[in-house]
Amino acid sequence: METGPRLLLLTALASLSLSGCAMFRGSAEERATAAEEPDPAAAEPDAAGAAPPKVIEPEVERREVKVARIDAENIELGAFYGALSIEDFGTNPVYGIRAAYHVTEDIFFEAAFGRSKAGKTSFETIGGDVELLTDDERRFTYYNLSLGYNILPGEVYLGRGLAMNGALYVLGGIGSTKFAGDQRFSVNFGAGYRVLPTDWLAIHIDVQDIVFQSDLLGKDKLTNNMMATLGATVFF
Amino acid sequence: MVRSTSTTRSIPLSRSTSVLFVLLALAFWAGAAGAADTDKLQQLFIAEPYLELHEGPGRGYAVTQVVPRGEAIDVLYRRTEWFRVRTHRGIEGWAHQREMLKTVLADGSPFTFDLGNREGFTRHRWEMGVLAGDYSGATLISTYLSRSFNEQMAVELTGSQFLGNASNGYTAEIGLIHVTRPDLRLSPFVTLGTGMIWLKPKSTLVLPEDRDDQTAYAGMGLRYYLGRRFFVRGEYRYHMVFTSRNENEEINEWKLGLAFFF
Repeated sequence: METGPRLLLLTALASLSLSGCAMFRGSAEERATAAEEPDPAAAEPDAAGAAPPKVIEPEVERREVKVARIDAENIELGAFYGALSIEDFGTNPVYGIRAAYHVTEDIFFEAAFGRSKAGKTSFETIGGDVELLTDDERRFTYYNLSLGYNILPGEVYLGRGLAMNGALYVLGGIGSTKFAGDQRFSVNFGAGYRVLPTDWLAIHIDVQDIVFQSDLLGKDKLTNNMMATLGATVFF
Repeated sequence: MVRSTSTTRSIPLSRSTSVLFVLLALAFWAGAAGAADTDKLQQLFIAEPYLELHEGPGRGYAVTQVVPRGEAIDVLYRRTEWFRVRTHRGIEGWAHQREMLKTVLADGSPFTFDLGNREGFTRHRWEMGVLAGDYSGATLISTYLSRSFNEQMAVELTGSQFLGNASNGYTAEIGLIHVTRPDLRLSPFVTLGTGMIWLKPKSTLVLPEDRDDQTAYAGMGLRYYLGRRFFVRGEYRYHMVFTSRNENEEINEWKLGLAFFF
């Protein structure tokens, strides 16, 4: 009969592979019980009266599973361009770069650096030849380090066939601003909207206020410098 | 008047084109990096009844696909707590790390990865933070990046800017930090290092020239774990500035801020 030996071989194979599994994954108790059990492959040949079977060495090697390095894309780098209203000095173009690190799905850190150039105060415009600042002093340079929070994550729909991921975020931070020959501690806060046409590209619309103390026009006051920018960033 | 308007316009335009160029280059690099080594993706199997795939990496994005039990997925990349995965039918989506913990490798063992929890606070490789405080009377803005050798020792780079009434300046420092009890939620540390200070006195004062000197510091502080990957860090540093004058200068620095590990 063909089925007798085949059954025997299968039992032997099963017991071998099962004990292998128990050695690898099972607890110590499981292993102990597996060892105590009488080996069916050794017991059955006598009962069947057949020749002692050869020990089958499985030729399939255990597949070694290595965990691949998973690329983390939490960094966002990009640039922006927009308008900055420098208090008393008019609204002027502003441009800069920004880098962000997304720590959780809600919270990110952002570092931004921007430049602009102040125009003339109304006093200078009316006064004719009056120049309050030199050309170099009109340069407005700032950087800030902010903490951001994504408040309204969700999809936006453009027309019937296009959906993009987006999120409204609020952010606030500290930094410094160099303007009119002096560097000052500044605080920034604002909100923005980030929309992602693809998973790695984000378009930002961002409105922020850069606040710092200034005594440029005689009186020490807190100046508000509102900024609206459009930017693009890439995720790494 | 007319001339000034034209200059203010022409400068940002040429800058904006260069900015655009940089951006495009960045985009190209990101795209190229994304296309490379697709053969080394991590393969996982669904062990739960199903795995939900979201449209975006956040809870606000809808679940549009599910992957049934037993099916394989490839992990493309990770963003915060979300994994971008692709099924063998070519469908891509985002799965949360909580769900990914229930998936298994080809040999049946569970898929494990860095979760960003309390254990990570004790044991991690990198940390970064932003702090604000006082630098000998001046307002201080400070950032740092640290690389851990083990649970207790790390090397740290600090870059700061201080803005005072008398002077402004920058400091850059490198030092060692020793966390005495990394297992505690409120864990103390001591630090020691050296650096440089670039001091720029304000023009109204008598000392007009800029100064750059070497410094050394010793300090101590506390770290308090908040949750996820965040902790608060408060610190005091005593600096010795090795000036070119006869006496050295002492500077006290106090700062407090938010940091995270990764």
